[in-house]
Amino acid sequence: MANNQNPWGSSNQTPPELDQVIKDFKNKFNAVFGGGSSGKSSSARGGIKYLIILAILVWLLSGIYIVDPAERGVVLRFGAFQEVTSQGPHWRLPYPIEQVYKVNVERIRAAEIGFRNIQNSSYGGNVSSESLMLTKDENMVDVNLAVQYKVADVKAYLFNVLMPELTLSHVVQSVIRQVVGDNTMDYVLTTGREQVAQDVKTGSQALLNLYQTGLLITAVTMQDAQPPIQVKAAFDDVVKAREDQQRYINEANAYANDILPKARGASQRILAEAQAYRSQVISKSDGESERFRLILGEYLKAPEVTRERLYRETLEEVLSKSNKVIIDSSTNALMYLPIDQLINSSRSTTSSTSRQSNYPSQSSQSFQSNSGTSILRSREVLR
Amino acid sequence: MKKINIILIVLIPIIFILVSSSLYTVNETQVAIKLRLGEIVSIELEPGLKFKTPFVNNVVFFDSRIQTLDSVPEAFLTVEKKNVIVDSYVKWRIMDVEQFYLSTGGSLASANLRLAQNNQDALRIEFSKRTINEVVSSQREEIMKNVKTKLEKIAESEYGIEIWDVRIKRIELAQEVRNSVYLRMETERNGLANKLRSEGSEEAEKIQAFAEKERTILLANAYSESEKIRGEGDAKSANNYAKAYSQDAEFYSFHRSLESYRKSIGYQGDILVLNPDSEFFRHFNPKN
Repeated sequence: MANNQNPWGSSNQTPPELDQVIKDFKNKFNAVFGGGSSGKSSSARGGIKYLIILAILVWLLSGIYIVDPAERGVVLRFGAFQEVTSQGPHWRLPYPIEQVYKVNVERIRAAEIGFRNIQNSSYGGNVSSESLMLTKDENMVDVNLAVQYKVADVKAYLFNVLMPELTLSHVVQSVIRQVVGDNTMDYVLTTGREQVAQDVKTGSQALLNLYQTGLLITAVTMQDAQPPIQVKAAFDDVVKAREDQQRYINEANAYANDILPKARGASQRILAEAQAYRSQVISKSDGESERFRLILGEYLKAPEVTRERLYRETLEEVLSKSNKVIIDSSTNALMYLPIDQLINSSRSTTSSTSRQSNYPSQSSQSFQSNSGTSILRSREVLR
Repeated sequence: MKKINIILIVLIPIIFILVSSSLYTVNETQVAIKLRLGEIVSIELEPGLKFKTPFVNNVVFFDSRIQTLDSVPEAFLTVEKKNVIVDSYVKWRIMDVEQFYLSTGGSLASANLRLAQNNQDALRIEFSKRTINEVVSSQREEIMKNVKTKLEKIAESEYGIEIWDVRIKRIELAQEVRNSVYLRMETERNGLANKLRSEGSEEAEKIQAFAEKERTILLANAYSESEKIRGEGDAKSANNYAKAYSQDAEFYSFHRSLESYRKSIGYQGDILVLNPDSEFFRHFNPKN
């Protein structure tokens, strides 16, 4: 190569052959560009020799190729498979003899069935025709699949099948329909999603192996599984109905949770009140009977006087507080007493609460009576 | 010398042309047939560099890879006379190059065309024997197998083609059938929605009724218990009273009456109509 960079710098160190070549080249150069002075034929021959050597060198160098870490190089000699080379620089016999194809074996490629994310118009068929499929129970579902794959066997990938990617697409389309056709709609749409994707993966891989495509499916994911757009509203309504169902139940539970503790509280209150009542009446009876016993003791000591005294005191107390009408029954004259008016006039001036202040309402009930009967009673008593 | 040069310059290209036209390569993806003036001399199955006699031999190449016949979707009638649209594909490769060359003239397109015809016929026969459900679900595999066997027989003997696989890509209902399917799906879903809502109501009703029952029971039990407790109280107090009062029943009656008067009579507003003949007025009226 040094002679290319500095062809005129001849020195003793240069090998004689190379020196000769340079000289020849110089002569040739002069012969061609140096005004057409006739050069020797031997130097012209040498020029051709040099050119041929150069051409051969360049030709040989064109056999150098570099394989990326993610790639494999496949070398063909006269069209026949020779070897697979991995990463790094390599040399092959140049063009007409050997050829090299480089294939990326690490890159995850993606195929989309039923939808298109990536611009990929290499195969036809509109999208809904890919995604709509029949289920076992003769319903239709709209399924979108994303398939990830890579090249596992470079040789098979290159030589076995015409258009391996198209084959993959066909295979997956066929298998997904078969799997969906073997299952019910509810299964595909809900619980079976994972399983369907898994079945598609294994089924598709089996076919790809059968066709020896050299492709390996790394993942199949169900992007979307939906009922067809025409019945989507009805399906959404079912989802809503399911929510409604839960809501009804929740509301009922809320109601139950509301009333039950309250009922428990209320029953505790009833019990507590009853216990209070029990204590109350027992205490009251204790007190009252004790009081009676004590009075009785004194009464027995002087019955007549005590009796008289008690009677007088009581009547005094009673009569001192109330309005009184004293009628001599010996006169047989009929009298008119405007009792209603008397009652009304006295009612309006007194507060009704005064009557109930003495005793708690429950026990005093038996003692309470309206004023009409009390009048009658008083008359009875006093007679 | 110059003459030699000129001769060389002329000769080299001629030699080159001769050599290059007597060599040919068969690629890894190809098989070839060598013809001598239209007559088959040899079949090259192995890839590599091959020789031929220039001008006398010519070579026809064939793609040896697996080919795909992607059929045009076509409508078939099922046994219940419903139209389904079927899309399938056939994977095939050239097995007998000579046979293939003779029958198709080496054209993949014409091979595809003939295969497609046979494929459609076989599928039509299979579909006409089955219901939609069988076609879609249970017997799909069987159909594909049958069509494959049928195609294999024809393709191998007539076209020198090896059938790798026949698969149904999609089975679709015709538009009018599809609409009725949609309608059915919709009604099915509506039914399901109603069922779910009613079940929700049922469950809710159940929960509410149960809660109310619990409440009633709780309260009733509490009431029963409370009545017992009150009864206990009443009994105890009655016992107390009885013990005390039975010591002197007559005095009790007197004492209790006085108590009653005090409590029931003599509040403000009461009006007492009194007879002066009563005991209380003994001294009030000196006549007595």
